Amino acid sequence: MASGPIPILKLGSILLATIQVDLHDTVVDAFQHDVLEEIEKTGSSGLIVDISALESVDSYVARMLANTAKMAKLMGSETVIVGMRPAVAATLVRMGYLMSGITTALSLQEGLEFLSNNQNGAVSD
Amino acid sequence: MEHGFRPDYMKILKLDEEECRRRLDFFEITEEDAQRLVSLRSFAEQWTQEITEGLYELIMRHPDSRIFFPDDATLARVKRMQNAYFLKLFSGSYGMDYVRDRLLVGAAHERIGMPPKLYLGAYRRYLALIHEKLRDHFKSDKAESVKALASIRKLIFFDMAIAIDTYIAAYLETMTRHQAAIRELSTPVIKVYDRVLLLPIVGTVDTQRAHQIMETVLVQVVDQQAKVMILDIAGVPVVDTKVADHILQTTAAVQLLGAQTILTGISASVARTVVQLGVEIKRVHTRSKLSEGIELALSIVGKKITAVAPRKDEV
Repeated sequence: MASGPIPILKLGSILLATIQVDLHDTVVDAFQHDVLEEIEKTGSSGLIVDISALESVDSYVARMLANTAKMAKLMGSETVIVGMRPAVAATLVRMGYLMSGITTALSLQEGLEFLSNNQNGAVSD
Repeated sequence: MEHGFRPDYMKILKLDEEECRRRLDFFEITEEDAQRLVSLRSFAEQWTQEITEGLYELIMRHPDSRIFFPDDATLARVKRMQNAYFLKLFSGSYGMDYVRDRLLVGAAHERIGMPPKLYLGAYRRYLALIHEKLRDHFKSDKAESVKALASIRKLIFFDMAIAIDTYIAAYLETMTRHQAAIRELSTPVIKVYDRVLLLPIVGTVDTQRAHQIMETVLVQVVDQQAKVMILDIAGVPVVDTKVADHILQTTAAVQLLGAQTILTGISASVARTVVQLGVEIKRVHTRSKLSEGIELALSIVGKKITAVAPRKDEV
């Protein structure tokens, strides 16, 4: 069970986290913890983090999200960050934060398609 | 009545009570000047016609200034206005109403496109004519004549300052409008195909424009859920480190959104400069021709251009 304020839903072999609260440091720390616990518990092969509700992302949050994705990958779970807003992307790039190695997609739909292609068409098992 | 675009110069120049007072103060227009000018009212009424005629003699003698007064009706009208202008100098009240009136005079000259050199040049003749009449009027009392001229000169300079401010404000207005128009024209995002967008960049890319390009590109990618954004830089004359950096920032931001960028229109000289400058273009598809870029973009969205038998169109 997630202990932070961000719900993590299980969709077949994929975990879906929709961030709808402001991501300050403690929330993002709790989120990272919850996600990794959940992956360990469910053995999911994909993780989608929907940030379309976020109007701003600071460098700490960006780094935490990127690190979470890398950790998830180590545990065998491919991560896609979806729905980034134009202003957020512009800010990150201007800060020189390119989130290299992180997969992004325009929408939840796209993210799901990406993961299902990665798993030879299996969204659910 | 004209219905053209007329900006409110009182507001643009921030000519409120306080500012009018400060201006009067700076031109050293005092109550004494006001009283002296009021006492010269009959002098003004007596000579205004003759002074106006003298002014227009100069204006009509020169082709540059004559063209602003094409017919007799116009000429008669502006002469009437000139008399009214002159008499108002001797009204003794130089508050907001006076400033508003003077501003309209200045704005009228700006609107018909009379250049400042003619406006100021004509004023020189105007002052000379007034001076002459004052000398005749005061004859023996030279000191009083000098004082009267000084008072008139203060007001005339006060009026000229307002007119010149109007000229400058009008030019700035025009420039601002043109800049806005250029900004709008400078980022035309074109939909090439479903989920494929194209932005041809033409002209110099400075920092301000680069920011605008990035903003437009990102908003369009999200709005249209584009998978591919083609940036064609064939029309950018010089690609230096700065321009390359701006373009790469945009492509990186597009990638963060989950879309891809294809950079096309890279000429031999651009390729050479980029490499010689040591700019690394990674994680971006690049093509020299736009057509190749479009083919690549279509393949990303799962489409392909194929050859078919040419269609015979009968219109």
